[in-house]
Amino acid sequence: MDRQMRRLWTLTVANTKSYVRDRATVFWTLVFPLVFVVLFGSIFSGVGGGKTSIGWVDLDGTTVSAELAASPAVAGAFTLTTGTQDEMLQAMRDGKVRAVVVVPHGFGSAVVAVRAGQAPAAPLDIALYTDPSATQTAAAITGIVGAAVAGFNQAMSGLPPVLRVNAKTLQSEGITATAYLVPGILAMALMQLGLFGAIPLVEQRQNLILKRLSATPLRRWTFVSANLAMRVAVALVQAGVLIVVAGVLFGITVVGSWALLAFLVLLGAMTFVSLGYVVASFAPTEDSASQIVSILQFPLMFLSGIFFAIDAMPGWLQAVARLTPLTYLGDALRQVMVGGVPFAPLPVDIAVLGALTVVFFGVSARYFRWQ
Amino acid sequence: MAGLQGRAGGEQTVDPGTSVIRVEGVRKRYGSVVAVDGISFEVARGEIFGLLGPNGAGKTTTVEMLEGLRVPDEGRLHVLGIDAVRSSAALKPRIGVALQTPSLYPRLTVDEVVGLFASFYETSRPPDEVIAVLGLGERRHALTKDLSGGQKQRLSVALALVNDPEIVFLDEPTTGMDPAARRSLWDLVKRLRGDGRTILLTTHYMEEAEELCDRVAIMDHGRILEMGTVDELVSRHFHERTVFFDTIAGVPDDALAALPGVARLRHEDGGHTLLYTADVGGTIAGLLALTEVLGDEPGDLGIRRPSLEDVFLELTGRVLRD
Ligand SMILES: Nc1ncnc2c1ncn2[C@@H]1O[C@H](COP(=O)(O)OP(=O)(O)OP(=O)(O)O)[C@@H](O)[C@H]1O
Ligand SMILES: [Mg+2]
Repeated sequence: MDRQMRRLWTLTVANTKSYVRDRATVFWTLVFPLVFVVLFGSIFSGVGGGKTSIGWVDLDGTTVSAELAASPAVAGAFTLTTGTQDEMLQAMRDGKVRAVVVVPHGFGSAVVAVRAGQAPAAPLDIALYTDPSATQTAAAITGIVGAAVAGFNQAMSGLPPVLRVNAKTLQSEGITATAYLVPGILAMALMQLGLFGAIPLVEQRQNLILKRLSATPLRRWTFVSANLAMRVAVALVQAGVLIVVAGVLFGITVVGSWALLAFLVLLGAMTFVSLGYVVASFAPTEDSASQIVSILQFPLMFLSGIFFAIDAMPGWLQAVARLTPLTYLGDALRQVMVGGVPFAPLPVDIAVLGALTVVFFGVSARYFRWQ
Repeated sequence: MAGLQGRAGGEQTVDPGTSVIRVEGVRKRYGSVVAVDGISFEVARGEIFGLLGPNGAGKTTTVEMLEGLRVPDEGRLHVLGIDAVRSSAALKPRIGVALQTPSLYPRLTVDEVVGLFASFYETSRPPDEVIAVLGLGERRHALTKDLSGGQKQRLSVALALVNDPEIVFLDEPTTGMDPAARRSLWDLVKRLRGDGRTILLTTHYMEEAEELCDRVAIMDHGRILEMGTVDELVSRHFHERTVFFDTIAGVPDDALAALPGVARLRHEDGGHTLLYTADVGGTIAGLLALTEVLGDEPGDLGIRRPSLEDVFLELTGRVLRD
C-alpha cells in the first residue's frame, strides 16, 4: 500500500510538472479565469467599486433627515439610491441595492423639538431592510446603520434617544452583478481545467506513453488517481486565488461554509475531469481533442446561467440550461459563496453533479483506449 | 551464450529446460491482414535472439504479444514460464520493454522520466546508473522533447533496464542512432547477456544481426521462414562461395552461368555481378578467359562467403535497407 502511495505521489508530481510546463494550458486554465474576474468584476461593479449600495427612503423630507443622509457615518459607508419605499424595496428584490433604510415621517420635527428641550414621547423607528440569506452582508449593514443612529443620538447628549433601529428582513431576488459573476467564473474555471485535461491524455495515448505504461506494473487506477489528484489540487489552488482576488478587489466574502465550498470545488473538478475523460475516449488525435474541447466549452459556458440569470433567458434556452452541467455547479457555488436566490436546492445541485460524474466515469471506463 | 553454439542444425536448438520464451502456433489478424501467421519458436536463457524481417513482417506484433500488450487470436505465449496473455501482470515486473517508437513524457527531463519509471517497480536500479550506462549523463536535465532522435532511442532503452529485468525486449533499438551509439549499444546488449539476461530484439540491420545475435529468425508476411545461428542459415542455403566483379556489358548471363561450378548468378544494385560457385578456381579462370576474348578484364574482382544478406534476399526476394 505504501508502495502504491509512493507511485501515486511520484506520478502526481510528474503530472503536475508536465502541466506547469505547458504554458498554453496553464494560461487557459489558471490565468484566463482570473483575467475574466478582474475584467468583468470591474465592468459590473462600476467605477470605484467598494461601497455597498443601499436604498434610502426619506419619508421625512426635512433638512434634518438630509443631514443624516449626508453624515460621514452613512454617506462614507454606502452609495445611496433614493426613491419611494416601493421603488426601493423592488430595487432590493432585484438585487440592485443590498438593503433599504426608511427614515420615518416626523423625524425632523421630533429632533427640532428635542433640541428645543422637549422630551420625545417615544423614540421613532428607522426601518432597516436586509436580506437574511446574505448573513454577513446583512450583519455588516446593520452594524453600520446602528452605529450611525447611535452617533446621531449621542450628538444630542443628555437627552433621551430620538431614533431606534427597527430591523426588518426582505428576501432579495438577486445579488450584485459582480457577486453573481464570481462563482460563475469559478465554475467556468473548473470546467476549463477538467475539459483541457483531455488534451494531455490524448497526447499521451498518441505518443504511446499510455502503451508504454501498460508494459510496467503500474495499475490503471493508480494512473487515474494521479491524474485526478493533480487536477483537483490545481482546482483548489485556482478556487483559492479567485476567491482572494474577488475579495480584495470587489469585497466579495464567502457567506457559506468553507468546507462545503471546498467540497463543491472538488466535486465540480471531478465532474469536469471525468467529462474530459469522455472527450479523451472519443477523440482520436490531440488536435481533434482540442477542437472538441473548444467547441464544447462555449455552449457549456453561455447556456449555463453562470453569466446571466436563467430566469432572464427565453424559454427554450432555459430548457437547454437545465441540461447543462455547469448550471448546477455555478448554482451550487453561488449559493455557498454569495447567497442569492437558488436555481435549484443545493442537494439537487450536488445530486446532479454526482450523478453526471458517475455517468462520465462509466462512459470513459467503457470506451477509453490505452493504445 | 556458450551452451548454444554447439547445437547445430534444425529449429529445435533450445533445451526446453532452459527456454525462457516459448511461442506456439501464434496467430494475430487485423481485419483482413494476417499480421502473424502461426509462428512457433523458443529462446533460451542468456541468449540474444533476433527477429529479422522487412517492414510489415510482423516483428512488432510478435514482440508486443510477448510483452502482454497485444492479445493473440490463436496460440500460446509463455515468458519465464508465465502465460503472457493471461498473467501479464505477474510478468511485467520481470521484463524490460523498449517500444519501436520511443514513448516519453515530452515535458519531463531525462532524470524525471527515469525516476518516474523506477518508482513503478518494487526493485529498481539507481536511475543515475542507468542514465550513465546509456551515455545520457550530459542531457539529464534536458526535457525529453528536446532530445535528438538517437538520444530518445537511448533513453527508451534506459527505461527498459531500470527494473533490472531478466528479459529485455528491444524493438529496433538502434534505428536512428549514429554508428558510435550503435556500437556502444551492441556492447551494452552483450554485457546484459553476460549478466545472464535474455534479449529479444528486432532489427533491419543485417550487420547488427550478424554481430549481435546468437540466433535469428527471418520473418516475412507473418511467418518465420528460417531460424538458427547466422552460420547455420548461410551454410543451409549456400554451399557455394561468391565470386563478384564489376558487371561487364558485353558478357551475356548465359555465358556466365555456363562457367565451371556456377550454380546461380545475380546482379547487385551496386553494379556488381555475383556468381555463386562450388569451384572458385575454375570459375575465375573461366571468367578471365571469357573477358580476354572481349579484350577486357573484370574490375574489382573478389571472392566472399555469402552473408546473412544473401540468405535474406534468397528467402524474401527483397533487400532490407539500401
Ligand atoms: N494495430 C494494428 N491495426 C491494424 N493493422 C496492424 C496493426 N498492427 C500491425 N498491423 C499490420 O500487421 C502487419 C505487421 O505489422 P508489424 O508492425 O508487426 O510489422 P513489423 O515487422 O514490426 O514492421 P516494421 O519493420 O515496419 O516495424 C502490418 O501489415 C501492419 O499493417
Ligand atoms: Mg515493427
